[in-house]
Amino acid sequence: MLNWTGKSKVIIQGIVEPLGVYCAGQMTTYGTPIVAGISAGYGGETIEEIPVFDLIESAIAEVGMPQLSIIAVPPYWVLDAALEAMSAGIRQLIILPHGVPPLDMIRLLAKAKATNTIVLGAGSAGVIIPGKLLLGSCDPQCYTPGKIGVISRCDYVTDAIIWELTQAGLGQSIVIHLGGGDIIGSMVEGWLPTLEQDKNTEIILCLEQTLCGTEAMASVLSSPRKKPLVAHIAGQNVPIPSKSKESPTLIASRLSQLTPHTSTALAKKNAYQQAKIPVAQSPAQLVEYLRNL
Amino acid sequence: MDLLEYQAKELFREVGIPVLPSQTIADSRAIKQLQIPYPVVLKSQVRAGGRGKAGGIRFVENTIDAIAAAQMILNLPIAGEYPQLLLAEARYDAEQELYLAVILDYQRKRPVLLGSAQGGVNIDVLLEQMQQVVIEDEFSPFYARRLVYLMGVQGHLIPVITDIVGKMYELFVRRDLNGIEINPLGIRDSGEVMALDGKVTMNDHALARHLDLMAVVGAAIPLATTQEELEDNRADNGDSEEGTEGLDFEAADPLDWYNREGNIGILCNGRGLAALTWDLLTQAGGKPRTGYLVGGEHQGKILKTLPLEQQLNQGLERLSAMEEIEVIFLHLVCGLGGVERVAEAIANVLQAPVNPPQRLIISEDRLERPTANTLRILRQNQLEQTSRPTAPSNPRRSIPLVIRLLGEPPSAIQEALSSLSVHWSQSLDEAIEQTVILAQVAI
Repeated sequence: MLNWTGKSKVIIQGIVEPLGVYCAGQMTTYGTPIVAGISAGYGGETIEEIPVFDLIESAIAEVGMPQLSIIAVPPYWVLDAALEAMSAGIRQLIILPHGVPPLDMIRLLAKAKATNTIVLGAGSAGVIIPGKLLLGSCDPQCYTPGKIGVISRCDYVTDAIIWELTQAGLGQSIVIHLGGGDIIGSMVEGWLPTLEQDKNTEIILCLEQTLCGTEAMASVLSSPRKKPLVAHIAGQNVPIPSKSKESPTLIASRLSQLTPHTSTALAKKNAYQQAKIPVAQSPAQLVEYLRNL
Repeated sequence: MDLLEYQAKELFREVGIPVLPSQTIADSRAIKQLQIPYPVVLKSQVRAGGRGKAGGIRFVENTIDAIAAAQMILNLPIAGEYPQLLLAEARYDAEQELYLAVILDYQRKRPVLLGSAQGGVNIDVLLEQMQQVVIEDEFSPFYARRLVYLMGVQGHLIPVITDIVGKMYELFVRRDLNGIEINPLGIRDSGEVMALDGKVTMNDHALARHLDLMAVVGAAIPLATTQEELEDNRADNGDSEEGTEGLDFEAADPLDWYNREGNIGILCNGRGLAALTWDLLTQAGGKPRTGYLVGGEHQGKILKTLPLEQQLNQGLERLSAMEEIEVIFLHLVCGLGGVERVAEAIANVLQAPVNPPQRLIISEDRLERPTANTLRILRQNQLEQTSRPTAPSNPRRSIPLVIRLLGEPPSAIQEALSSLSVHWSQSLDEAIEQTVILAQVAI
């Protein structure tokens, strides 16, 4: 799914935002080739030695065509930033902020489909190939090279869980954060074949958290699978709120998923068990499962 | 968040969906000044469904009846919610009643049009006849026509109902709605249609870009949900602004997980981490009660120290104020690079002189753009300045605190806090074990 070569270039839209500055620093240290930052009104300045431009167009004129954009603008500006990137011909987007209005995401994804653009997020921490490549806001210090390919539909708890694996000596080949947003672009179906073909990946790990998304990743996994799969679900012991703040009173709620995060840990666990994929209840148990594979 | 019927109907007027002449009444005596000719319908303005069956809708023929009915409605809680207003509306006799809706389906990631030829209160029949049309691309009236045709609407009514669905869709997009429902849409043989009742559900993430609606819902939110709900869902301490459902102007975000047997309070950056922490404490034999989230503006990424200090302070204060909580587990995962900064913030909060006034300071870069978060903070400031300018805060109860960060906090900070009951740990398992032991000792 990720179209990446040694010559690929990255830009950060919203580089002057706190999240943009943070990512620029982390990624520059990791060696990610960030050729430009975009923040209207800040053209001509530099952040972490990265030149800032007002428009993507003017950045391209100076530094050439980027292959990927990391979007760190505030949530209400995400749609516009993504449309600008797609209009400039960028076909890979990672959307970091959470809280993008859903109708904006729907418009964004419609455009992405029409232009064949891959979108990670909203609410994604990006992709990391430990030791090689960092694209996004996850904390590289929690990760170490190894053989486990990870797909996460969680928020930043991913860093905390991977840190436990790293300390146990279980490294990762690649970690993909699909995002914790209400509506996300790229789903597990898009990444699983990549992981199955990746020669550095021997085991695939799915990370989930309770009440994130409308279904478990397992419900769309095809079998037979070429590589062993293990899952961890955070929140298996969390009490389900008796009445959600958002619980809709519309009659239509009996027919449609009117809230973005309806899939409980229990429902997810059942889906994995049905697919005969073991589910760990804690990072310690996850380490045990991974070691015994 | 759901709008009340009268608020929904104001939006209907905005796009030209026909509604009856109506008037809101807050006090039963005000009904003497009713501008609408009798007979009228009086309707309780609550969010719960099934108002009619619960006695929240009354038909009245004259002022004397109206006063009595209004008094009754205003004192009748429905599903635990007392109405603050009732809506007096002209009575309308329809020949036929339809159900219409536009919703956002999160599974399909698409807007969906819904319609049933059997609108009204008989939900089973309504659902049986329900038709759906998914908006696959840009909306165009043909989608609405397709729905109307599926519903079995015929003849001169086809363009009329199509037009209503189109207007509903317009409102749905313009106002960033999660859903909009008309039930029933009354139809007369003449071809006249009327939205007799309506529901509008806003999207919380988009609310901040509709300032006019924020003002509307902010003003009309019931002060508190029912006591059982509070006890069931979360632990609050009774501050008046806390029950404002959906618009909690908290810096630290309360979790809606609640275990009434629990005695451990958790404070985490991020919902996922809180879920993990809750699991591990439970699996180790501990009983988490509830918790608060910090670092919410970047889903747990802690980028700035100042908001963190404010959120920590508030979270600790709220948890300490719950008598049943014996231990607080502060679990922050912010990378190894952030440990020093975060430890410093923790030290500042713990060492601060007895609860300094919490002034939320908003950095310039966020002030210019209203987001849900900045508006929340702004509102919080207003509340603090207006509603409790000199309220003395109680000194925080001293509760054992277990802190787990990913790395080693500077020894100077550990020493500085050594006189307090603070336990640092880098290891997740150790920190969990320590918390559970402290919680058991306390019993």
